[in-house]
Amino acid sequence: MKLTLHIWRQSNKETKGEFKTYELPDVSEHMSFLEMLDVLNEKLISQNEEPVAFDHDCREGICGSCSMMINGQAHGPDLKTTACQLHMRKFKDGDDVWIEPWRADAFPVLKDLVVDRSAFDRIMQAGAFVSVNTGNAPDANSTIVPKMNADLAFDAATCIGCGACVAACKNASAMLFVSAKVSQYALLPQGDPERKTRVLRMVAQMDKEGFGGCSNTNECEAACPAGISVNNIARLNREYFKATLTSRES
Amino acid sequence: MAWVTDAIKSSIGKKFLMACTGFLLCGFLVMHLIGNLLMYVGPDVYNNYAHTLHSQEMLIKVAEFGLLILFAIHIWLGFETNLENRESRKTRYAVKKSKIPERKIPYFLSPENYMLFTGVIVFIFLLIHLGDFTFNITMPDKLKGREPYDKAIIIMRTPLSTISYIIGVLLLGWHLSHGVTSMFQTLGLKHPKYDPMIRAIGPVFAVIIAVGFASFPIYAWLIPYDPYAAPGVEEHQEKSHSLTHSDLIAPLCSHEKTTFEPHSAWATSLNRV
Ligand code: HEM
Ligand code: FES
Repeated sequence: MKLTLHIWRQSNKETKGEFKTYELPDVSEHMSFLEMLDVLNEKLISQNEEPVAFDHDCREGICGSCSMMINGQAHGPDLKTTACQLHMRKFKDGDDVWIEPWRADAFPVLKDLVVDRSAFDRIMQAGAFVSVNTGNAPDANSTIVPKMNADLAFDAATCIGCGACVAACKNASAMLFVSAKVSQYALLPQGDPERKTRVLRMVAQMDKEGFGGCSNTNECEAACPAGISVNNIARLNREYFKATLTSRES
Repeated sequence: MAWVTDAIKSSIGKKFLMACTGFLLCGFLVMHLIGNLLMYVGPDVYNNYAHTLHSQEMLIKVAEFGLLILFAIHIWLGFETNLENRESRKTRYAVKKSKIPERKIPYFLSPENYMLFTGVIVFIFLLIHLGDFTFNITMPDKLKGREPYDKAIIIMRTPLSTISYIIGVLLLGWHLSHGVTSMFQTLGLKHPKYDPMIRAIGPVFAVIIAVGFASFPIYAWLIPYDPYAAPGVEEHQEKSHSLTHSDLIAPLCSHEKTTFEPHSAWATSLNRV
């Protein structure tokens, strides 16, 4: 199939970017979206042009690197699918495809489609850990966890930190990400000792990074390739409220 | 007390306050609607209600002050969060599409995208409304010495007020159709058992409020009632002066008491047209 690509090109953090249009005459429907970009890049390199920079690593939907807006949707049109897992059979011959980086002031564009997501790392460093030394693996069932809680915690822990929630949100809010990380610990006994400080610190860091607030539009949930539910945001709100009222540390 | 200010300044804290003030404002709307629905019972019942309410001076003062504070907080935070939310994405997308598969309303029409806009229009409507009824500055001559029921009819038959009321309450409904459901989520009230109910309550509440309030100006135009022919406040004075609780509810619940009968009273005033 023949595609017309409109790709955001920006040479570094400081310069202003712009869309450039590229024609790609024979895209195979069996390619993944990133493979299609690889083909474009090979063509650009052979023409002595600068290839399009984009983040990628696992190419199997688990690392969360492949951040890009495809036709106005985070990771493209497929639900619960990362850009690397998106297949070109989703597109038709003659389609125009607009490809943009995540847009959020907390995620500055470094080059082309690559954004700096270290804001997420700093939020994690603020509290998404259990600081007790866990020692050896304990005997099975020595700490009893209800199956439902284990499942909910696991669901929350499937967040791959890709930032699609921020990208899709009209407020560029990181609430879904933070709520998944807070929930994953709050639901398990191991996370309980630091439960209150964790949520207070992570939310404070989230605000400091310049993410927006939550307007409960649920776009984040729909854009999330891991299917993280907005139920986690309600839990985050509860955890934050309880911690504010009862934490002894601040 | 740093923990209080920290919490209030946080993004979650601000939304929490918006939800609390929004909830209390919804409570006010319900009370206001119930009170106004007495118009449908009859002019005398409605007038009694209005006089009794306004004879409770302390209560009115406290309620008015409370509402002022609620609106001030809600509006202030509405602007503040909206500004911050815009700040967080200064470069917009060239193309942006919703990814919600079960979306019923197209994204560009969705109420959550217009909360500040609908809020501001509701506020403008509120100012007109207060000018008409509370401060009595828009048409003081026409309303002088009139009973509350007649005032209401006169005001709502003024074309500018009719239009602004209908637009105001419809946009309020639009505000609430997202706001009320969103409020539950903000307050952390979410559970699979209640999810369908919470999803529905916003739109249902919004329709009740919008249709309920919009019905009054429409009713005012439709009924064959001449407010200028009805007796003014002086003529009613003995009755309205020393009202007790039982006077107010008697016409609603008792058929024996004959101090007045709302339906016949209404009928007589209708006859005067
Ligand atoms: C009777 C009047 C009003 C009622 C009952 C009401 C109710 C509500 C409710 C329940 C919410 C949801 C809060 C949440 O998401 O947690 C809300 C949100 C909001 N309200 Fe109001 N409101 C009223 C008037 C106003 C006015 C006058 C303004 C502003 C000028 C306003 C601006 C907003 C904004 C901007 C939001 C959205 C916040 C966000 O999405 O982050 N509201 N309102
Ligand atoms: S490259 Fe790892 S998730 Fe797409």
